[in-house]
Amino acid sequence: MSKLILRGVSKAYGATVALSHGDLALEAGEVHVLIGSNGSGKSTLCKIAAGSVRPDAGEMLIDGSAVAISGPQVARAHGIGIFYQELSLAARRTVEENIFINDLPLKAGLFIDRKALAERAARYIALFDGVAGEGFSADATVESLRADQRQLVEIMKTLATEAPILIFDEPTSALDRAQVDRFFEILRRLKEEGRAMVFISHRMDEIFAIGDRVTVIRDGRTVASMPVAETDPAAIIRLMVGGQEELAAPASPHAVPDAAPDAAPAGGETALAVSGISGPGFADVGFELKRGEILGFGGLHGQGQSAVLRALFGAVPIASGTVSLRGAPVRASNPAQAIAQGFAYVSGDRRRDGIVTGRPILENVVPIHYLRQRLKLARPARLREAAKPAMEAMKTRFAGFSHPVDSLSGGNQQKVVIARWLIDRPDILLLDDPTKGIDLSAKADLFALIRRLAAEGMAIILYSSEDAELLANADRILVFNGGRTVRELRGDERTRYNLYQAAYEAA
Amino acid sequence: MENAMSTSQGHGQATASRAGGVRRLIARYPFLPALAIALALLALNGLYQPRSVSLIGLTGLTKTYMALMLLAIAQTYVVYAGDIDLSVGAIVSLVNVVLVVLMDRWGGGAGSILVAMAAGLAVGVACGLINGLVVAALRLQAIVATFATSIFFTGLALWVLPVAGLPAPAAFWRTYGGRFLDVPFVFYAVVVLAVLLYLMARLRLTTQLLAVGDDAQSAYQSGLPVTAVRIKGYALCGVFCALAAFCITGDTASGDPLVGGKMTLYSVAAVVLGGAALSGGFGTVVGSVFGALIIGLINSLVYFVGTPSEWQNLVQGLAILVALMVGVLVGRREGR
Repeated sequence: MSKLILRGVSKAYGATVALSHGDLALEAGEVHVLIGSNGSGKSTLCKIAAGSVRPDAGEMLIDGSAVAISGPQVARAHGIGIFYQELSLAARRTVEENIFINDLPLKAGLFIDRKALAERAARYIALFDGVAGEGFSADATVESLRADQRQLVEIMKTLATEAPILIFDEPTSALDRAQVDRFFEILRRLKEEGRAMVFISHRMDEIFAIGDRVTVIRDGRTVASMPVAETDPAAIIRLMVGGQEELAAPASPHAVPDAAPDAAPAGGETALAVSGISGPGFADVGFELKRGEILGFGGLHGQGQSAVLRALFGAVPIASGTVSLRGAPVRASNPAQAIAQGFAYVSGDRRRDGIVTGRPILENVVPIHYLRQRLKLARPARLREAAKPAMEAMKTRFAGFSHPVDSLSGGNQQKVVIARWLIDRPDILLLDDPTKGIDLSAKADLFALIRRLAAEGMAIILYSSEDAELLANADRILVFNGGRTVRELRGDERTRYNLYQAAYEAA
Repeated sequence: MENAMSTSQGHGQATASRAGGVRRLIARYPFLPALAIALALLALNGLYQPRSVSLIGLTGLTKTYMALMLLAIAQTYVVYAGDIDLSVGAIVSLVNVVLVVLMDRWGGGAGSILVAMAAGLAVGVACGLINGLVVAALRLQAIVATFATSIFFTGLALWVLPVAGLPAPAAFWRTYGGRFLDVPFVFYAVVVLAVLLYLMARLRLTTQLLAVGDDAQSAYQSGLPVTAVRIKGYALCGVFCALAAFCITGDTASGDPLVGGKMTLYSVAAVVLGGAALSGGFGTVVGSVFGALIIGLINSLVYFVGTPSEWQNLVQGLAILVALMVGVLVGRREGR
């Protein structure tokens, strides 16, 4: 009998389906690997099992009996412990407090028993003795630790639940070799104790080093499950790719036939040349971008794609390397300078980097116009005139310029953000996962526009966490891994298979 | 409090030896800048009015600002969790009038005073629970929701006692202003408070509140009962509001349905002066107490310096701004 079974689990956020049909059968005494591309639904599946996301449908069985997990506390009570990919730590609390935050030992029923806490935490901290690195101690605050050390704290916190079912959602992404080895020793020991473990990793070698069974998820659906011993990396990547082996260009629903990538002007003049730039989160990145070209940034989440785009826009410092615009070297130390040089940046994180919440649509469309034209006084009538064509180009549906931008849907908000760059055309458009959380029709409009802009000569860099968008719209794809570009896919090489292989295999 | 004593000495030694030590100390005891500012202000007070640092002067200062200290403590527990309570002043007013009216109605004897105080405490807790339910369970914005409840509580206070001036029984304010064994009553209160705060810093609830304020999503995913924790924070706030009301009743010896209103934002300022983050997850109750003291000492210093009355507010406001800046600068450079 399986320890944990998830059957037909689904979850949608508005129009975005995060998971359409997740299945998982987890046995006691195994390390069960979950694999799938960006946004395929792995994390959602894990969070549903751990109670922090409530499923829309599906059933869950533990030891053969159906359970309803209504929250993280209930999941804990049912014996499920989880390592969250984005970590669940309190930055200003100490390591030991974090490890037992949900189960602080008490004196007199009210007070924290510091001595017992220290003793209990020491057991889990000792597991990583010698590999935890400098500055790691029980009474250090989490905010004072490095990324790998924080990840170790989250691992200790998960282990400290002593739950029979342990879920690890990318626990090794920041760890070094010695830390991973130690972690795997622990997993093997837990396996012998009969614990059931889910393990997500994007390093293929780790999957084959520790996994007993692998389940592949594609586009929110569980597509296959088999013993690791009976498969190989190429077969797994083929499963992740599915039947979409063909060069994914005109077949994609987002594509506009008359502006397919192949039609993009080849051999245009070089608009942007980047050579060997390094900075926080990326190293030695170099490429050339021609006018009228759409260059894709691909790979797994957070491999430096966003950091490079933000660096080009002056929001993140560049430590070394050169950037030249039409042959002349430039360096932007803040976004205002980058805008003046002709860069435009659109982030997928609209609330943080895009819209001005609570303000009218008009004010959200014109800030760049203000900056570029050095306007001092607002003349609403003239601003409306300037804003209108940009909004129409985006096919933005809105009731009036004076309505607050929050009244729009996510897709239309993003169109407003893009429209603000279209009043005074930039030379280089940096798109940082621009379609995050927006509906399909808005996506189609958006990519149609991007194609048109490219056809009119704008140079565009597109980072998308959705591989299909990338394959359908980019003329060329640079695959990132660990902050470096590991492969460039041109022409016929732009297949899902190659994209996944470059993203997963290289390290 | 005990920590405050031992580290004020440690602070001196570390400054002499190395800057790294100061940084570690401030990271460990974030209220040190507030303590230093409070001590400096106390010295200035002594300079301009030597009598202000005498036993009688300090007793008067403590008596007058005990209520604000307690209110700053109340606010701190809410701020810990990343919330805010703009109704603390209104709760003080409500408890004040309930206390005075009940003591008056029940005859003003020792027994009636104790029962009325228990009732006042219950009113404070009830107000805190209402705030907690509105903010944490109904998920309304804390600033606006507690602003609304503050109007509601003020309305209740005006219904209980429409006009200010009903006197508190003599036994009550004589005790608060009196002495036991030649030691002023308020100093016993300070000692009791110190012990209480020492114990409360060790409460599991305190750590839970800080964890929720640090990152509510993480706390929820860790399995903490986030809503319940936030409600408990507001309830705790209500308890300390009631204690503040007792002190203000002892100090003013009468009931006034609007007595606490002005204190609300002072309590927020005290919390910030004490080194806590309004975004939650970081701060100390002791720091907030020193923050309240800073405000009290600024008020008395402005008076002692002989500022003309029409300039007092202006100078007072500027002085609080300066104290905030000093605290921020010291904290940023040496600590975090």
